[in-house]
Amino acid sequence: MQGIGKMGIKKIYPFGMGILLCGVFVLAAVWTAAAAVPPAEALALGRADLIVIDGLKSFGPLERPPVPFYHDKHTDAMVKQNKDCSACHETVKDKLSRKFKRVQDNSKTAVMDVYHDQCIGCHKERKSANKAGGPVTCGECHIKDAMLRSTWQAITLDKSLHYRHVKANEKKCETCHHEFNPQTKALYYTKGDEGACLYCHKKKTEENRISNRLASHQACIACHRQLAAKDKDAGPAQCSGCHDPRQQALLEKIADPPRMERNQPDAVLVKTGLKGGNPEPVTNRMRPVPFDHRAHEGYNNSCRQCHHADLKSCATCHTVQGDEEGRQVKLAQAMHQNDARNSCVGCHKQQQAEPACAGCHSSIVKGRSLTSEAACKTCHMNIPVENPYPDESSAESKSMAADLLAARKPVVETVPVDQIPETVTIQSLTHDYEAVALPHRKIVLKLAAGVKDNRLAAYFHDAPTTLCQGCHHNSPATVKPPQCGSCHGRSSEALNLTRPGLMAAYHQQCIQCHDKMGLEKPVSRECTTCHAKRK
Amino acid sequence: MSISRRKFLGWMGAASLTSAVGTSARAASNHEFKGYEDSMAVLHDITRCIGCRKCEGACNTVNDLPKPEKPFDDLTVLEEKRRTTAKAYTVVNQFGGQAPTFVKKQCNHCQEPACASACFVKAFTKTPEGAVVYNEKVCVGCRYCMIACPFEIPAYEYDEPFTPRIMKCTMCYPRITKGLLPGCVEACPTEALVFGKRQALLKVARQRIADYPDRYVDHIYGEKEMGGTNWLYLTSKPYGEVGMREDLGNTPAPKLTKGALGAVPMVVGLWPVLLTGIYAINKRKEKIAAEEQHAAVDEAVAQTNAEAEAKLAAAMEKAAQNQEAAVAREVKKALEEAAKAAAEAEAAKDEKGSDAPDGTSEDA
Amino acid sequence: MSQQANRSTLFTPFNVIAGLIVIMGLILTVIRFTKGLDATTNLSDYNPWGLWIGFDLLVGVALAAGGYVTSAAVYIFGMKRYHSAVRPAILTAFLGYALVVFALNYDVGRPWRLPYPFFVSQGTTSLLFEVGACVALYLSVLFIEFSPAAMEWLGLKKARNLVVKLTMVLTILGVILSTLHQSSLGALFLIAPSKLHPLWYSSYLPIFFFVTSTIAGLSMVIFESTLSHHFLHDKMDEAHLAGNKGLALGFGKAAAWVLAGYFVIKTIGVAADNNWHYLGTGYGAWFLVEMLGFVALPAFMYAVGVRDRNIKIIRWTAAWTVLGIVVNRFNISMVAFNYHLPSSERYFPHWMEIGISVFIVTVGILVFRFICTRMPILYEHPDYESH
Repeated sequence: MQGIGKMGIKKIYPFGMGILLCGVFVLAAVWTAAAAVPPAEALALGRADLIVIDGLKSFGPLERPPVPFYHDKHTDAMVKQNKDCSACHETVKDKLSRKFKRVQDNSKTAVMDVYHDQCIGCHKERKSANKAGGPVTCGECHIKDAMLRSTWQAITLDKSLHYRHVKANEKKCETCHHEFNPQTKALYYTKGDEGACLYCHKKKTEENRISNRLASHQACIACHRQLAAKDKDAGPAQCSGCHDPRQQALLEKIADPPRMERNQPDAVLVKTGLKGGNPEPVTNRMRPVPFDHRAHEGYNNSCRQCHHADLKSCATCHTVQGDEEGRQVKLAQAMHQNDARNSCVGCHKQQQAEPACAGCHSSIVKGRSLTSEAACKTCHMNIPVENPYPDESSAESKSMAADLLAARKPVVETVPVDQIPETVTIQSLTHDYEAVALPHRKIVLKLAAGVKDNRLAAYFHDAPTTLCQGCHHNSPATVKPPQCGSCHGRSSEALNLTRPGLMAAYHQQCIQCHDKMGLEKPVSRECTTCHAKRK
Repeated sequence: MSISRRKFLGWMGAASLTSAVGTSARAASNHEFKGYEDSMAVLHDITRCIGCRKCEGACNTVNDLPKPEKPFDDLTVLEEKRRTTAKAYTVVNQFGGQAPTFVKKQCNHCQEPACASACFVKAFTKTPEGAVVYNEKVCVGCRYCMIACPFEIPAYEYDEPFTPRIMKCTMCYPRITKGLLPGCVEACPTEALVFGKRQALLKVARQRIADYPDRYVDHIYGEKEMGGTNWLYLTSKPYGEVGMREDLGNTPAPKLTKGALGAVPMVVGLWPVLLTGIYAINKRKEKIAAEEQHAAVDEAVAQTNAEAEAKLAAAMEKAAQNQEAAVAREVKKALEEAAKAAAEAEAAKDEKGSDAPDGTSEDA
Repeated sequence: MSQQANRSTLFTPFNVIAGLIVIMGLILTVIRFTKGLDATTNLSDYNPWGLWIGFDLLVGVALAAGGYVTSAAVYIFGMKRYHSAVRPAILTAFLGYALVVFALNYDVGRPWRLPYPFFVSQGTTSLLFEVGACVALYLSVLFIEFSPAAMEWLGLKKARNLVVKLTMVLTILGVILSTLHQSSLGALFLIAPSKLHPLWYSSYLPIFFFVTSTIAGLSMVIFESTLSHHFLHDKMDEAHLAGNKGLALGFGKAAAWVLAGYFVIKTIGVAADNNWHYLGTGYGAWFLVEMLGFVALPAFMYAVGVRDRNIKIIRWTAAWTVLGIVVNRFNISMVAFNYHLPSSERYFPHWMEIGISVFIVTVGILVFRFICTRMPILYEHPDYESH
């Protein structure tokens, strides 16, 4: 009707808007799809040498995703090109800078340029020489949402590894151990004051104190490199050599390394930081605990399992009342915390998870270990002595410790065999199945054999009948324990829902014990293994 | 059709009455159902389940369900994941190969069941004892409950042409009202199932988690899920790994439809007003349009009339004028003719004058 | 001679096919009611609702929305120029709802208990109760609205005149009931957020269903009038034939606007729940197909058709939109429903289910044709004043 020109524009308008809208939608979809789909660079197998380059973080939030970098790949490549660490790391004051091709981070652009020029430059060179190189485009390095899997595992200098280093350095402890004088700002060494690196070198670099990562790499790798340069037997200089779990498993393990020489005591009373002797009233205190330090050195892989922050005695930081240095963890808590590996009780508790022990111990509730008087007395031995609270640094204290330890007798006897019923017939519930002929003596003797050589068990199972209480629980330890049916009724009680009925009590007890001890037979669902089916 | 005042008031009254009647919706209230006080529940401790299927067998017996193809002591069925069916109120499934975990699956007897909310014939009842029971006597078979159940539990007897029923766990309602235990609970050899008051079972579950923190995941499934259920679970493996959905949220199902249901009386109340209003406005517009048109027509007519009249008057006057002129003209003509005739007569007389036989003398 | 002519007029290709479908449908009906749902459907415990709910119920009710849309337009909004479209729309709606109820008898397990929710046990917490009540009431309203045509055919003058007086009230009631049940059909799915894909699940589902029902109604009226125009041309009177073009333009314009509005509120729905990232998935692509292909595209095509006064475009767009409604209802009830289940547990209709649905639609068409060829739907009865 109207002029063609006018009609033309009016026709374009809805079309144009339509196409625009569709385009916006499709764009949104593709954008979000790209975000949703994980990139192809996801690594299926993890590597221990993965370093995520995000050094520009110190200058502000990153504009691009951090770059995953595989160090060993590059050291291998360098080796092939007959180059060494100095190809990428500058030496400053005889030490290798861990930074890439620079000594300090001056500015954001400067650092970025170093990486771009050096990395991409080298990769490009390789490419132009038709050799295997690395990524050159932005997205190949700055991978968005990269699903990286690092298998990096920290390496602990346990007793075995430490001894190998002691031997290699001919007992010259000063090679690695040092302390720092904040006044003179110099490192020095005092014999007898050696400690673990982690005691001072923490996660992050602080003033006058580099991070543990820096320290260990500077110390360990420098030395290894030196030795390797001299064609001597040396430790690894590559990431995976120390940090790959598979490589760690291949490290030589000395079965029984000689004791570390650090003037540590053999037997000692656990220090409490409280005054001994007469001046203060000493009534109503827990008896001091004799501690077989030498034996415990053998039970642990490294000192740090107990001496987690220092080789001094625990009470130095963990005072009775609590102290800032000990992060307000009081002495009692430090000694008795159930779930802390560093504490006495915590470590002993972990031992209970061993298959030989777990059958009984897995069903004992968490809090119970501290409620029985007998458990306290095993450590806080209440033996009459002249001065029960000697001065803690005195010789009297040391001899008292040795005496107490000698007085503590492990209990290894079981109940006399003739007093252990050979077979117990459980016939209280025969409905679908016949009575159970329980091979009672066999089970007891098996359990006893499992803990025979375990000193921990021998001390804490303070009576031959303690072992019986694994099954005959919640009742006094006796040779004639009450029948299960005394407490466990037909079904669980409405008033006491935590007490299962008799059938469940039997099944839970037996099946869970077998489970936790890792027994393959009897199979819990093969009912007829234990009781024949009733016709 | 115009709307009278009476009619309008009448409709408003009806609308407000309808709105007032809709009290049960409570769309925006804080009303919360905390569950029946003494309701019973079952606690299923997954760490104790050994996958022996005795519970399935007991359920089958107690509820008189048809015997399955593979007997209950056949444990090979655990190799596949199963769901509840019209012939099985409950199933046990196995998760993991090496050290497998077993989980029993059945109706969870929710505190605010989706099935009961969805059923349009109130075939489901949440009993004070805790069980959610189904009444086959009113069920129409619409299967909306199966859509609603977030745990995908209700099954239907599709192969029954005349009396198809929804089949689901009843928590052995007839038994528990007699003080007995549900069939599955009684049969379980390791008491992986414990029956008791929901409040008490929650305490037991919390106690178990506190006593064995390494054994249990610190979460009781069913405490809050879908507003809380009367079948509680404890596990050692994360719930997502043992076939239990962790993304259902804590909103009870009835709350999801509260808004929509609450809108119904609003629509019933407001729509008559709205629609009648539109109709009235339209009608009014039409009326005014009609009136305006009418007025316009009248005006046009009147104007036309006036114009016509004026024209007529003018014409009349002109006619009168013409007539006068014509008359004058004729008179003039007549006078002229008369004068002419008189003149001619005069002339003729003069000719004849001497002999005036007729006595027409001058004296006459 | 005349007998031969009769036979040829009876056995037209359409009649033959329709007849075969009806026969098949009757057989399937017998099977359904003797063997049960297991034998005639692919419904399962995971998929209790299938084609009969997704198509016969949801699509059926949506496409029958032309009744309230047209009568509202003519009687409430006073658009008298569409007057000739009212009766066909009411007839389509009435038959639509009647067939929905008919189809429901196939789907539920005990159809003889369908009156139970009203008379025996009222489950008022259920949105299905709401749907049932409103559908039942609305069917009655439609029946009454349709009855004048039948009464004119039967010569019941007094009754007819009485019923015609009720038009206004019935129309208002019709809109109220339609709003309620159209939205409640969407609200049915509110109770299952864990089973419906996030792109389709929204707390706005009732509103979406209501708006799409309006779109469906508008398009269906155009679609139906196209078909009637083609196949029942000789039954149409002057007014009908003349009003056809205006109907297409007017309803097409309305549909363009409503479709555009629906597109906007669907976008708001995605934004409100922050579901953008789903668009990049497979389901997201299908969602975009539904939104762009069956909402945005028809909106534009309607607008173009109205703009250019191109009735052909409008008619094709109407058919396409009807298909779009089918796609939308299918998506919500079958495609995006149970999206979380493995493909072995997903549902596809049994051929017998499809057969019954086709049968029901065929019956609808046959009844429609029967009524239109005898009763004053497409023409005005000469004895009665123009209403």
